[in-house]
Amino acid sequence: MATDKELTDFLRSVEKRAFKRTVYAVRDDDAALDIVQDAMIRLAEKYADRPAAELPLVFQRILSNATMDWFRRLRVRNAVMQNLSDFESDSEDGGDFDLLESLESAEGLLGAESAADSVSRAQILRSIEIEIGQLPTRQREAFLLRYWEELDVAETAMVMGCSEGSVKTHCSRAVHALAKALRAKGIAP
Amino acid sequence: MRNTVTPTASRARQQEALEARVALRLAGALSESAQQLPHDISERLRVARDRAVGRAAAVRRASGPVVLAQGGRSAVLGWTPPVWLRLASLMPLAVLLAGLVLIQQYHDHEQIVVAAEIDAALLTDELPPTAYGDPGFAEYLRSDPTP
Repeated sequence: MATDKELTDFLRSVEKRAFKRTVYAVRDDDAALDIVQDAMIRLAEKYADRPAAELPLVFQRILSNATMDWFRRLRVRNAVMQNLSDFESDSEDGGDFDLLESLESAEGLLGAESAADSVSRAQILRSIEIEIGQLPTRQREAFLLRYWEELDVAETAMVMGCSEGSVKTHCSRAVHALAKALRAKGIAP
Repeated sequence: MRNTVTPTASRARQQEALEARVALRLAGALSESAQQLPHDISERLRVARDRAVGRAAAVRRASGPVVLAQGGRSAVLGWTPPVWLRLASLMPLAVLLAGLVLIQQYHDHEQIVVAAEIDAALLTDELPPTAYGDPGFAEYLRSDPTP
């Protein structure tokens, strides 16, 4: 059973990433805060008796479900939200884009961190966030869970409710799409 | 036996490693960005966290006493009642059973008393009890006493 301190430490460690991840999905700070708070409360009420080691996976799943619930409620209210094509578009062709070339030529602004001034650095981070936000939903979820939340492929598949193969495909497409989009902006990832 | 790796498999593995490398760089940038949240959002997240932890504590309290302090040590236990308390919880059942037995005995006693009264009345009456076995007497009782 997780103690209050373990629960506090865990929530402190994930809350900012959870907020940003939700903002990428719902594109509204207030809604994202509500969703994260809802997920925290659900975790505390129903899963606080679980061992601390189980909390990350459970929380990610709760957060995904809470985000989906928000979209469902929004749909019920017929609010204008976002273009459905965002959910279904698959803009990745991935054919001739050479990731290796992109990396090898990376005199990248990300790689040359110390040389970049703070303004351009902030612009780069902002560009990355914009491109993350423009990824198709499933690709973004897979990418963030796998590489940002550092879940393994099986755990990511469990949270997303899909196969491990799908997770790998989503992640690969997301990375290619991001690298291509950022390179087009002159940012070498 | 030689371990042969086909060029295709090698290239796929290389591609996978590159993807992971790019992804981790991007994730690092996202982490950096997440650390620069505005103060009001950080505060609202802190409030949400405190509220969640408070709710967890309330749920634990509601689900029963779980922490027993003993000689300066704390042990998290599922609470087991002592033997005397378990026996005491059986007391109402024992009282109920004893009451039922007493009620039954009282009822039997009442029936015996009533039967004894009837017997006594029959035996002390002027009419002998054997008269009730006589068919003529029974016919006499059924007949209309008025001429």
